[in-house]
Order: sequence, then C-alpha cells, then structure tokens
Amino acid sequence: MFRSVEEVEEALRRESYLPDRGLATAIFLALRMGRPLLLEGEAGVGKTEVGKTLSRILGAELVRLQCYEGIDASQALYEWDYARQLLYARALQAGEVGVAERVSELYGPEFLLERPLLRALRAGAGAVLLIDELDRADDEFEAFLLEVLADFQVTIPEIGTISAAEPPAVVITSNRTRELHDALKRRCLYHWIEFPDLEREVAIIRLRAPGASEPLARSVAETIARLRELDLVKPPGAAEAIDWAQALSHLGAESADGQAGRETLGWAVKNREDLRRVEAALGD
Amino acid sequence: MIETLTRFGRALRDEGLDSGPGRIADFCRAAALVGPADLYWAGRATLVGGGEEIPVYDEVFRRFFGATPKGEQHRPIRGPVVVETERRRGLASPVELLREKSFSRCSREELAALAKLMNGLTLTIPARRTRRLERARGGRPDLRRTLRRSFRTGGEPLELLRRSRRRRPRRLVLLLDVSGSMDAYSRALVLFAHAALRGHPRWDAFCFGTRLTRVTRALAGSDPDEALRRAAADVVDWDGGTRIGESLKRFLDDHGHGGLARGAVVVICSDGLDVGDPELLAEQMARLARLAYRIVWLNPLQEDPAYEPLARGMHAALPHVDLFLSGHSLASLEEVADALARL
Repeated sequence: MFRSVEEVEEALRRESYLPDRGLATAIFLALRMGRPLLLEGEAGVGKTEVGKTLSRILGAELVRLQCYEGIDASQALYEWDYARQLLYARALQAGEVGVAERVSELYGPEFLLERPLLRALRAGAGAVLLIDELDRADDEFEAFLLEVLADFQVTIPEIGTISAAEPPAVVITSNRTRELHDALKRRCLYHWIEFPDLEREVAIIRLRAPGASEPLARSVAETIARLRELDLVKPPGAAEAIDWAQALSHLGAESADGQAGRETLGWAVKNREDLRRVEAALGD
Repeated sequence: MIETLTRFGRALRDEGLDSGPGRIADFCRAAALVGPADLYWAGRATLVGGGEEIPVYDEVFRRFFGATPKGEQHRPIRGPVVVETERRRGLASPVELLREKSFSRCSREELAALAKLMNGLTLTIPARRTRRLERARGGRPDLRRTLRRSFRTGGEPLELLRRSRRRRPRRLVLLLDVSGSMDAYSRALVLFAHAALRGHPRWDAFCFGTRLTRVTRALAGSDPDEALRRAAADVVDWDGGTRIGESLKRFLDDHGHGGLARGAVVVICSDGLDVGDPELLAEQMARLARLAYRIVWLNPLQEDPAYEPLARGMHAALPHVDLFLSGHSLASLEEVADALARL
C-alpha cells in the first residue's frame, strides 16, 4: 500500500504513465479510502490507461468491463451455461450420469459462466476492476452497478452469496455523453483529467514514442497544443500526439510543421471538418 | 481544522455543488491522508462531481485557502456531441384554412375551435429499449426458460422459448414560454400542452417567463377552457419578460436532475428572445442535452420563411437542439407530432 502521493507518482512513472499531481492524489486517496475512482475527461487523455497501469503497479489482474448500450447483469456479472446444462440434462435422462449426481447439480459452479464483475469480486484485492465508458450503459445498469459497488457482494440464488474479502481497486471511466447519477458520483472519488501541459506532453511523447527526438517531440507537442485551441469537434489527445510523433519519426522528419507534418496530419486530426479547419488555420 | 473544512464544504454546497455531510466527511479523511500541500486535490477528488464544477470549486477554494496550486489549465468543458440539427419548413397544403392559420392571427373563437381539433392530435414518442429482456415471440433464444421448460418433458427441450428487449414508454416534458413576446402564440401552445398531456399520466408541462411554474396539475381535466384558466391563474409572470437560461436552470435544479428530464424528450416552445445571459442559457442547454434523450425546440417565428435564429438566446441554444421546428399552427403542430414519432 502506498504511504504518500509521491509514491504513487513514482510508481506510475515507472510504468511509463506521467500523471499530474491531481491524478496521483486521487489514485492515492481511492486506494487508501477503498473507494472507486471515477475518471472523466476528453477522449484520449488516458482514462483507460490509468486502470491498466494501476493493475501493473499493484501486480493485480486487470478485469475490464466494457460498457455498451443495453449491457445487463448476465453480461456483466454471471450467466448460466445453458447449452451445457441442456446436454447434462439429456445425459441425466439417458442414465449416463451416476445416481449421486442429481438434477440440483445442473446449477452447480461448473455451469456458471463468470463475467467481469463476478471475476473481480472473486479475485478481491488481487484485481483491478476497470469499468470502461460507463456513460454508454443505461440508467438501470448504473443502478445495478451502484448496488454491487456499495457492498462488493452479489447473491446468486442457486449458489449463494459471493463477496470480496477485500474489495478490488475500481476505476470507472466516462466520456460524459450522459450525466451519471449523483448517487454513483457520491460513492466515488472523482478526477477530471486535463490535457497535459506542454512539458508533460513532450515527456509523454518521448516516453511512449522512443524513436522521436527531443526537437520532434517538442514540435509535435506544440502543434498539438495549437490544434486544441481551434475548438475542433474532436481535439487530439495524448494518444494522437504519440501516434503522430511515431509516424513522423518513421518518416525521418525533424518537426511537425514541414511537408511530412502536412501529409501525416491524419494521425492527429481524425474528422473531416476538423481537417479542413486545421488546414486553413495552419496555412497562415 | 475540521471546522474550516466543513465550512468550506458548506460554502461549496451553497454554490450548488453536491457536497452533503457524507462527502464532507470523505473530504476531511482525504485531507488528513494527504497533508496540507495537497488539500486542493483532496477536495477536488471528494467534493467535485463533474468537470463543469471545477471553476466554482477553484473560486471557493481561493476564497478559503488562498491560491490554487499551479497545474494544468482547466479548459472549458464542451457539451456532448449532439445529433445534427434538422430544419424543416412547413409544407403548404391546401387543406382547411384553420389548420394552416397562424395562431397569431386566430380570434378567440377560432382558438376554441382549434382546441377541439387539437384533442384529435395524439403525441407518441419512441419507447425506450431497456436493458432488461422479457419473454417474447421473437428475438433471441431464452435458454434459461427453455431449460426450465424441458424439465417438464423429462429433460427434452421440445420448445425453444425466446426473449427480447423490454420497451418502456419515455417521458415527454413541455416547457412553454409564456412571456410577452410569445403573447400571440402562448395560449394556443398551452392548449396544445393540454391536448398532449391527456392520457399520459407521467408527462409534464411547465410554463416560464421570468420564473418557472409547473402546470401539469392545472392542465389535467378534459375541458380545455377550464385548463387554460387554471394555468393562467397559476402562472404569475404571464406576458412578462423572458429569462430562458434561468428558467431552464430552475427546471434542471428542481425537477430535471432528479429524474424528470433523464431519458425524456424535452419540447421547448419559445421564440428564443431572451433578456438573460446567453452564456447561462448555453450552459443549461448543454446540461439538459446530457440528461434528455432528445431536445425539440418549437419556435413559432419560423412561420416566416425568412426567419433566421439570430437572437442571442436562440443562437446559444441551437447547438444543443436535436429538432428545430415551428409549431405556429395546427398543421405545423401535426408535423411536430409526426417528427416526434420518428425521433
């Protein structure tokens, strides 16, 4: 367990994630207080990456629950393996199964399909549960999730209650396509991840795109910062900056403003209207 | 120290943040864990519940503890991407005069006749597909029930049962501008609301000018005249000024956030002539857009084909509107009904 915010910063850095002070503090507090950490921010600022990195730091298994519209408990928690149950029932009928094994076994643990939430509960502190893009799931799912996160236990009627001895670390991400419920927010610690400032962006690029030289990384970071000022539909995130720097270094370019930069602009700007806008703005 | 932290939490609550006793307790624990240097971040993690709350937090923090730590500049939050706004004009069709006649030129008698016609107008909006599956004739196989059923026949699954997503009706919320500038239309629109709400116990209607009044109750009952009288008695700011942003904020604070607007179709009837702060309006529209399923804006000024949404308020609101229609006559309202069914 971490004893200070500095230790968290240090550990994240060792895993090639450069946090700002606020994020490190929020992670430290979430772990110490045993609370889920809710991360919001524009796409591409590294929300999902936090969960992945955290699992590496803690030496824990990453259990990822990707949310989507219409996700329900049978996809998030558990499901019975009906096909196998049917086969088993047939075998029972044909007398191929011993007398000792009775119908009740149809709902035994071997027919239970584990989904991410159940897996995380069983692994307890040995897992980091990453609930990705929760805003895509609907209200009911959020309410269901709140229940699970409140006491880290679930009851499966046929088997009994399963609870985590020590709750797993939980990271929730949202892109704010819809407002999450206040009850869920109250349950969580919150951090809004900003786009990195110039120096941190340069450091991130150098760390993640080792082929890029310092001047190239700086030039990419500066251009990306300018792009973010343009009020684009989709401003480029850190992921775009890294990809772009990588692409430019493969082409042997020294900066992002030249011919190569123009030709590879699609790595940073991925929307047609945005591209047009950027081309016009970079023209002058 | 705890006392200062608690007062700080309360001050945030006064500014509209959701910092109840539970959160303040979290904040105190967090502050103790990280030490004074990171007090700012301890509060950010425990007392803030959304990016848009950060500027308020920063301001109150500065008031209590001096400077905020130098960090990454907080950029204003952009609203979620909205479905591209669709604009349509009323199609001229030589049907009954009254149906086409603008509400602004209707006499009292004509309005009464229209009220009757409006009763024939039924609004339907698409149901919400919930995550729950229910038994159905078609859809994906329901193996759970198929298996259970097979026990009746000695483990032989004779019948494949199916299930599909359950549908639940969505809520519709009407927000009617009854300020002075809407004078020519507001009575007809209240009649429209009366007709719309019939048969939909969970739907709601509000009137606003400078303040917000819930008129759902007043509009209940079958007699449109009576409903109009009751609504007019309840709404004290009828024919007054307009503060759309503030009214919308009131709606969201008091009703919308609690669930009224969540997943709902919100229909705003207003000319968008706002004396309030357009920035506030844009902010509240963004908030509404995140909660609501679709936002429909009816602006009767659109009956003039040359109309362009240049008014500051209208301009600020438009990026968050999914469907921008007129609603100045019965024919136009029928068009609205059509569009709602296809949302």
